[in-house]
Amino acid sequence: MPAVRETVEQVHALDVDKYKYGFETTIESVKAPKGLNEDIVRFISAKKSEPEWMLAWRLDAFERWLAMTEPTWAKVDYPKIDFQDLHYYSAPKSTEGPKSLDEVDPELLATYAKLGIPLKEQEILAGVRKQGEPSGLDQADGYQSMAGRVAVDAVFDSVSVVTTFRKELAKAGVIFCSISEAMREHPELVRKYLGSVVPQSDNYYAALNSAVFSDGSFVYIPEGVRCPMELSTYFRINERNTGQFERTLIIADKGSYVSYLEGCTAPMRDENQLHAAVVELIALDDAEIKYSTVQNWYPGDKNGKGGVYNFVTKRGDCRGRNSKISWTQVETGSAITWKYPSCILRGDGSRGEFYSIAISNGRQQVDSGTKMIHLGRNTSSRIISKGIAAGHSQNTYRGLVSAHRKATNARNFTNCDSLLIGNRCGAHTVPYLEAKNSSAHFEHEATTSKISDDKLFYCRQRGLSDEEAVALIVNGFVRDVLQQLPMEFMAETQKLIGISLEGSVG
Amino acid sequence: MIVTLMKTEAEEALARQFAAVASSLPGTGVAAARRAAAMDRFRETGLPHRRIEEFKYSDVRSALKTAFAPADVQAPIVDANAIEAALGPVASLDADRLVFVDGAFVQSLSSSEIAGVTFRRFATGQPTDDAAFSAIAGANPLLALNEAFASDGAVISVDGARKLAGRLLVILYLHTAREPRRVTTRNLIEVAANARIDLVEVHARIGTAAVQTSTATRLVAGDGAEVAHIKIDREISAATHLSLWDLELGAATVYRGFQLTAGAGFVRNDIVARLPGADAKFDVSGLMLGRGDDHVDTTLVVDHIATGCESRELFKAVLDDRARAVFQGKVIVAPEAQKTDGKQMSQALLLADDVEFYSKPELEIYADDVACGHGATAAELDESMLFYLRSRGIGLAEARSLLIESFALETLEKIENDDIRAVARSVVITWLGADL
Repeated sequence: MPAVRETVEQVHALDVDKYKYGFETTIESVKAPKGLNEDIVRFISAKKSEPEWMLAWRLDAFERWLAMTEPTWAKVDYPKIDFQDLHYYSAPKSTEGPKSLDEVDPELLATYAKLGIPLKEQEILAGVRKQGEPSGLDQADGYQSMAGRVAVDAVFDSVSVVTTFRKELAKAGVIFCSISEAMREHPELVRKYLGSVVPQSDNYYAALNSAVFSDGSFVYIPEGVRCPMELSTYFRINERNTGQFERTLIIADKGSYVSYLEGCTAPMRDENQLHAAVVELIALDDAEIKYSTVQNWYPGDKNGKGGVYNFVTKRGDCRGRNSKISWTQVETGSAITWKYPSCILRGDGSRGEFYSIAISNGRQQVDSGTKMIHLGRNTSSRIISKGIAAGHSQNTYRGLVSAHRKATNARNFTNCDSLLIGNRCGAHTVPYLEAKNSSAHFEHEATTSKISDDKLFYCRQRGLSDEEAVALIVNGFVRDVLQQLPMEFMAETQKLIGISLEGSVG
Repeated sequence: MIVTLMKTEAEEALARQFAAVASSLPGTGVAAARRAAAMDRFRETGLPHRRIEEFKYSDVRSALKTAFAPADVQAPIVDANAIEAALGPVASLDADRLVFVDGAFVQSLSSSEIAGVTFRRFATGQPTDDAAFSAIAGANPLLALNEAFASDGAVISVDGARKLAGRLLVILYLHTAREPRRVTTRNLIEVAANARIDLVEVHARIGTAAVQTSTATRLVAGDGAEVAHIKIDREISAATHLSLWDLELGAATVYRGFQLTAGAGFVRNDIVARLPGADAKFDVSGLMLGRGDDHVDTTLVVDHIATGCESRELFKAVLDDRARAVFQGKVIVAPEAQKTDGKQMSQALLLADDVEFYSKPELEIYADDVACGHGATAAELDESMLFYLRSRGIGLAEARSLLIESFALETLEKIENDDIRAVARSVVITWLGADL
């Protein structure tokens, strides 16, 4: 598979320390002054030329946020965040213009090239193939050839910079644009669905996001349409002392299907950066949304200095009958991760899935998991979570499975395994099971163990180094989840796992 | 002295009652001061409620709407035959007995001398304070409440003479009151190194009135001791039953605990186990039976501190009508506790539409060379199993009861002593038979 080899080579070529996305791009930007108050909320709204209702919505969220306190129940420990010491808006100066990639600031393009994501866009940019031509990767199997192309929405600091393949998507009736654009061009959709899954007052960080979110992606797949390509958003925090607050809204109308990828990185900095995003998914009757994330924010150095604080609220609402939402996440970055992609299984016969790999090393702290809330009849859910803790990190799975009174025949299967590498780290499992009717069938299993010495010995005896052996064994450990990832992410993820665990052995 | 406003009627009543009865409760001087300090601690927190994580599913504040008057310090006179009758299958156990009636020790109903065991009443000696309990247990507001009101209990030490193997001691708590009463007891059990004992703690009710019980037991087992520790709760239609076991096990001890809850009302069983000695084998299991509006909660913390320990837990719940069961099981493995082997299972059988089961099996692991796991399931009776039995000519009702019985009785395998297991079995069968 040439693309895989290419990824591997690219990753090798990017030989920067252990975090290979630690570069900083010098792009002129427009920033809002530090601090948070009603004026900043108004400033952001004005910058985006938002309609009046949107400003009112933001101000409402801001008011609610003021009345809330930071949650402390997660097993993460960090100094108190000074919310007044942040810029809540930062945009690259060149955002006004570009309608195509050619017009984009070359610095920005170089940034994406360095990131190595997404591969195929780069192929196109480099003239390797023309848009629409199948790539080498696609030919690997027939299934991929249709979805081989990826449309990308790139969000730089707070602002969506460019969205590719829009015309082609429009032909299929798919709307894929930045959320601020959607507010202007499809206000009826935004107004109807925004906040309908994660209300403004849902939690502290969601309220903050609702008040100050600056951009994000918007996707609408019309009735009966199978989105012709993978959609992808790429997030990057670049500026110093900025918080990134993006908001993603995906609506899959009746009988439609979409697969969405999300990737994120940030420069290496000594101070901590704040990222508080909200993602809302809505699946109507018979629709399916597949949402994959490779989260690789800067995790801080080995002593725990710097790194991104990642407080994210992701929730999908299976609103229609027989709808399906599937979350796949690979969490390797961030100093603090606080993230629970959830599914509300409202429609009868709906299905939720959660596949997760969470790797922590150094001083990282991960508290992640999912909620499967069964409300409709004959709903089912599946949770596969693989946590790997190394170094001095703490890795927690926290999950809830609940079946309400009317959710007859709810089914859940949960499996969460943890792997510990070294005895200075911690792996924790905190599952909640709530069965409120007798026809619910819940099965939950969890294990915690270390890499067995005989497996390591076997690999080493075959000539692998300690680190290679660990990476190989870990890749086997997470295989169930890796298989759920789209091809585009799989190869990178495998390599990422190796890099994340570097220095964890011996 | 910290003054905090009491929030509920029950909390206010508890404070008033304490002021009224404190002087008549056992212990003077230092002991009385400790009681008062415990009440202050309780006053700070009040009754635990659902916003406290450990009590998320069991809101004691709303379960204990009124605080009954504390039982008299003097035990009433009870007819021995009435006790035997009320004990049901438990009466048949051939064992030494310590009997407490309405929270006070009754010598005439108890064994006068127990080989290898030194016993004194909690009420007569220097009472044990919360400081003797582990930090985890000490953080529980219910323990502070227990210390404040404890009227009596068993302070036992078991000597290390191995030849006395097979000793069986039953501690009975009987409630005879005809008026609603609150009964608070506290036990301290010390098992010497290499000693061996089978302990059975039985809670039963003879009286007609509802009773609120609170019992706390601190058990310390020396190196190499072997302890079987069984609790049978038959306080049928009691109002509330709050129990706390705080266990500390030495190196290479073998501990087998079991809790059978066939009582009713609001039940909270806390179990805290610390394993500071290497190579201990710890097993605690239980069966929670609930019907009507029963609420049965088992909350367990196992703290692995030393290397090479093994812990096993199996808890099951059979729920009918509108009953609720809660199982919270937390296993902590400290960085030093390498080679820990921990397995935990919680299962619920849901027999009616309106039952609820909450499970929170938790792992908190800081050591890498461990094998820990937990499982949890909740389901109704398996249709295919029912179908199989019926296809063999067994009627629906009988097939159901066969399946329920086999589900419930599996847990009793954990009880090694045949006599105790037989007693537990008959308690379970009686409970199941009541409406199957």
